[in-house]
Amino acid sequence: MSSTRPELSREFVASHKRRRMMDAIAELTAEQGYEATKIADIVRRAAVARKTLYDNFDGKEDLFLSAVSATMTEMRVVVEEACERNADPGDGIVAGLEALLDFVAEHPSASRMCMVEAISATPSSARLYDAGVRDFVELLQKSAPDETDLPDTIEESLVGGVAWILQLQIRKGGAEQAPELLSELSQFVLSPYPGVGKVVNTGRRK
Amino acid sequence: MDAQGGIERLPRGRHGLSPEFVAQNQRQRLINGLTQGLYEVGYQKTTVSLIGQRAAVSKSDFYKHFESKDECFVAAYDAAIERIRGQLVAACDEADGQAWSQHMSDAIEALLKLFAAEPALASIALVEGLRAGRGVYDRYQAAIESFVELMRKTEPPSTLGAKVPEATDEAIVGGIAAMLGRRVLAGETEQLTELFPEILEFVLGAYLGAEEARRIVSVG
Repeated sequence: MSSTRPELSREFVASHKRRRMMDAIAELTAEQGYEATKIADIVRRAAVARKTLYDNFDGKEDLFLSAVSATMTEMRVVVEEACERNADPGDGIVAGLEALLDFVAEHPSASRMCMVEAISATPSSARLYDAGVRDFVELLQKSAPDETDLPDTIEESLVGGVAWILQLQIRKGGAEQAPELLSELSQFVLSPYPGVGKVVNTGRRK
Repeated sequence: MDAQGGIERLPRGRHGLSPEFVAQNQRQRLINGLTQGLYEVGYQKTTVSLIGQRAAVSKSDFYKHFESKDECFVAAYDAAIERIRGQLVAACDEADGQAWSQHMSDAIEALLKLFAAEPALASIALVEGLRAGRGVYDRYQAAIESFVELMRKTEPPSTLGAKVPEATDEAIVGGIAAMLGRRVLAGETEQLTELFPEILEFVLGAYLGAEEARRIVSVG
């Protein structure tokens, strides 16, 4: 059999390797925590040379922060796109929430890394988590009905509340079932918006 | 209580106090020393010597109470949660027999007053606990769950004609804790009491609907 290995560009291979290392640290920290995860574990899981890791990242923390940050961005983008596809603000918020829950179900390790491990791994990762929460608060404010001008306190509590429920769900190993929380969480998130929450509560959404 | 939220050290020499009492008092002082140190200089710089200094307890006595700084931290964390729980239980007992919304109102007010008066306590309970690692995170989760249980002792009136889902109680408590933690981290602990009407509106709104919540909050 003649070897017809496809010619992949160097950029493709390099970015694929970066991706593998980021996936590896997500899986490993989800399994055993940040502290216990060693460089040796990461390169073994990602099937890359130790040198490759150091060519791409300063070390474990840099890799972890890159992975958290990349996942946060992906998460925000899918949620934002889902919100924007709906003209009605109530529908937009529910669609955004649905996209978030689907993301968690499809990427359980990466979600755990971002939403659970990042909080306590290192001070920099905690700051990334905080910044992520702030982004979601802004996104909620942008998606909310125009006429409601809720105090930041309430929107921060809504985002914090959704995050908390997801953290509980992830920590009990139920990330894949996150989409089942949609109806309960929709009711919660819409509750402070006059006129919007009530419609959903009675199951008569426009 | 002195200005640092600690308890006074005992008089030297013969005081006729039982050894158990003295030990308990020392332990409490060490816990306060760590909590206060953590708030002022952070975990790294809160050394066993610093804790001992603040508590007026020798380093060797420190190790009679705790094996390590980590162990002292966990004890301090648990003590902070107990203080908060005590405050919430007291507020709910006082509101006994009153409307559900009054219960919520009194509990939120008591909580915010406690945090505003003792920023170091707010900080260890809401910020440091979450960041300290997996072990303490379990305690944070247990604390939130125990506050949810406390909240469920009084039933909200059902005005929406729909059952409020279980996750709502948890999301409310977890959400408020996260929001308050962010404010504490931003150094706004002493202004937390100003958030009272907004937090009350948030809690009531989840059960009674936004309009009714606004009405109750606006009439005070």
